[in-house]
Amino acid sequence: MSSDQDHLKETDTEARFEFKKEQKSSFQADKGLTEETIRVISEDKDEPEWMLQRRLRALKQFQEMPMPTDWPGQPDLSEVDVDEIVPYIRPDVETRGSVDDWTDLPDEIKDTFDKLGIPEAEKNALSGVGAQYESEVVYQNMQERWEEKGVVFMNMDQAVQEHEDLVREHFMTKCVPPSDNKFAALHGAIWSGGSFVYVPEDTTVDMPVQAYFRMNSEGMGQFEHTLIIAEEGSEVHYIEGCSAPKYSAFNLHSGGVEVFVGEDAHVQYSTVQNWSKNTYNLNTKRALVEQGGRMEWISGSMGSKATMLYPSTILKGRGASDNHITIAFAGEGQNIDTGAKVYHNAPETKSTIESKSISKDGGRTNYRGLVHIADGAENSSTSVECDALMFDNESTSDTMPYMEINESKVDVAHEATVGKIGDEDVFYLQSRGLDDDDAKQMIVSGFIEPITEELPIEYAVELNRLVELEMEGSLG
Amino acid sequence: MSTQLPANLSEGTVREISEQRDEPEWLLEARLDALDALSDLDLPDVIQTPGRRWTDLDQLDFESLVDPLNQSDDTERVTAEGVEVLPFTDAVEEHPKLVEAEFGSVVDPQDNYLTALSAALFTTGTFIYVPEGVDAEDVKIRARMNSRSLFSHTLVVTEDSSSVTILEGVETDAAVEDARYFSNLVEIATGENSYVQYGALQNLDEDTYHYTLKRADVGTYATVNWIEGNIGSRLTRSDVESELNGDAAESKIVGAFFGHNDQHFDVNARVWHNAEHTTADLVTRGVLDDRARSVYEGVQDVGRDAWDTNSYQRENTLMLSDESEADASPKLIINNHDTEASHSATVGQVDREDLFYMTSRALPERIARNMLVEGFFVPVLEEIAVDELREDVETLVAERLRQ
Repeated sequence: MSSDQDHLKETDTEARFEFKKEQKSSFQADKGLTEETIRVISEDKDEPEWMLQRRLRALKQFQEMPMPTDWPGQPDLSEVDVDEIVPYIRPDVETRGSVDDWTDLPDEIKDTFDKLGIPEAEKNALSGVGAQYESEVVYQNMQERWEEKGVVFMNMDQAVQEHEDLVREHFMTKCVPPSDNKFAALHGAIWSGGSFVYVPEDTTVDMPVQAYFRMNSEGMGQFEHTLIIAEEGSEVHYIEGCSAPKYSAFNLHSGGVEVFVGEDAHVQYSTVQNWSKNTYNLNTKRALVEQGGRMEWISGSMGSKATMLYPSTILKGRGASDNHITIAFAGEGQNIDTGAKVYHNAPETKSTIESKSISKDGGRTNYRGLVHIADGAENSSTSVECDALMFDNESTSDTMPYMEINESKVDVAHEATVGKIGDEDVFYLQSRGLDDDDAKQMIVSGFIEPITEELPIEYAVELNRLVELEMEGSLG
Repeated sequence: MSTQLPANLSEGTVREISEQRDEPEWLLEARLDALDALSDLDLPDVIQTPGRRWTDLDQLDFESLVDPLNQSDDTERVTAEGVEVLPFTDAVEEHPKLVEAEFGSVVDPQDNYLTALSAALFTTGTFIYVPEGVDAEDVKIRARMNSRSLFSHTLVVTEDSSSVTILEGVETDAAVEDARYFSNLVEIATGENSYVQYGALQNLDEDTYHYTLKRADVGTYATVNWIEGNIGSRLTRSDVESELNGDAAESKIVGAFFGHNDQHFDVNARVWHNAEHTTADLVTRGVLDDRARSVYEGVQDVGRDAWDTNSYQRENTLMLSDESEADASPKLIINNHDTEASHSATVGQVDREDLFYMTSRALPERIARNMLVEGFFVPVLEEIAVDELREDVETLVAERLRQ
């Protein structure tokens, strides 16, 4: 295990994400998207007929829906030609489905995740880990003590077989139907991999479970689906990480996340997104929260060429609550369009949205958010805070919140600020002996601290390292 | 999507309006061009989110609302020393060159369907000219609409280092039953280091659909402060906009509205920072009672070259009734990092503790509530430099509270 230790000392974070592996796969779908492709994927996965039918219906919806092009300031999606994407690659693993021991994986895949530090993190800080390589989950393991309590953490394809009733009821039905948006429909047609998490009543999973998603091949699309069902009174923290090496052709990531938060249950969903800067990251994430339940979304969007991501929460039951914490960092050539959506559909519901964005070297960050308070959602409250930091005059930062209030007994507040790094702050730190770069880096770390302090220490360190990397050489 | 041309509109109608006023060729051409453009133009943008269209302008039935040849109004104009305040028609004769040069220079008649309709058909309006160095207060325009539909175009031109305070009131007579349409375009072209405060108070009857676009081109060292009060009308779409085109230009946009019954107010305040050292402050407060609905969009757009910008925005809505609805979208579009910008928006009801305190001091609840609502408007009222306008707003708010 000494090799596992070695990579942690590796300081060049970029090298840790940017390495490429030779593409080896046992099955690769043709480029493009046709009914035939869908049938081949579904058959390769040996899926039940109803799933094939759902895929085909989603494909039809995808073909009928127009590409979103008229949102003010949205990322340019004209390059995203689905017919140029390889939608499905099954990596070359011995066994069908995933293994539960890293050493059973082919060397080059194991080596990938070693470099990313996943096995090491599993030993120290996690209840369970799933790792997806290309289109399939190759590794999945959970500590036995959770298995004994009835907690399920398995790859989504396996769940279709082993928990068919649960999946059939919850998969892209009442939370994220394929008709929601064009990329949700695309996802519904060609989804592959992802995690299925089931936490029984009154069970608290006290260490996070994590899934890591890695795209290795050029020009591929990854479409993993995550379904989390937290029963009454349960608690779970799910973390996803993602990365890919950089190629000249574009990659597409269009994941789907559905979270069912039962009565008085608590789910935290954390993401540290570090896709390579040729990746289009177009996701649909949504949670349905029952009475007294609580949903937390924590997202760090660092990578990708363009991101469009607005995690949404529907507060269905009385007293349900939601917290959103998002951080976006857009450097050269990046357009990070992100935000949050919350629907207050019941009385005494609460939400808070905290967004921090940083743009530099011509990067663009957009905050786009919606808070809707339905008629009858009495005594609900929401507070939205957006802060943006801009490094230079080539960059852009837009804030576009929408508030729809149909109930009078509410407390609604929105606040936003935009500014540059304060010269006085830099001067103060310099007078204490820091050089210009360190001072600015420290100010940025302080700016995003409200986010990093919500993450487990390993991820906070990771996020800070990514921010440092983004800022390296850019200051002065 | 473009809206169809109403059947009662033709080139002949526009020519007749222009001929009746004995207008010069250039104005007739501008009207005909606007008419021509109608079929290609869209209604003003309206915010749409999944499942909700914030204002439905498509419901405007121009066929029955627009009666172009029977427009009628009574407009009283009060001038101040050194300032020219003329009916638009007279201004075309008396200041032909100036009017020709400035008409449409700030509000492009072909901006959208409603501006083009207005440019093609307007029969009333005011021209205000403030020569260099003149300081004038209390210019007043009181317009009363007497017909089914009325289109008005007001143009304000200020020369260097002048200042003027303008008060505009619009009302309706009681002679027309059912739905009516009032269109009010206002453009302000400013000279260097000039100052304009333009206060408007709209108190149309509650069958009237109302569209207003007020836009200023704010030059170097110039200041334009807008006050936009909306009390009446069935539906109002109000766009108040400042383009800060000169260095050190400033603008303040102050809005107040009070909706009741089933009134719908779509009020918007927008500012573009296009030059260096510019400052903007957007302050809107509104109260909603009964089934009234408000839509607010505030935009602070800081351009790439707008170094050293200060831009602030606040919007607060108070809901008095459970049936009322309030939508708000304050937007920041920032392209220059040398900017200090912030915005905030709140929606809420009368503070229960405040109410409790006042009732514990023996005030009946109704009176306590009314006092709190009146107090809610104070930060906006304080911005109004014209006493008469401030008192009018106070009176109308008090009347509505006691209805």
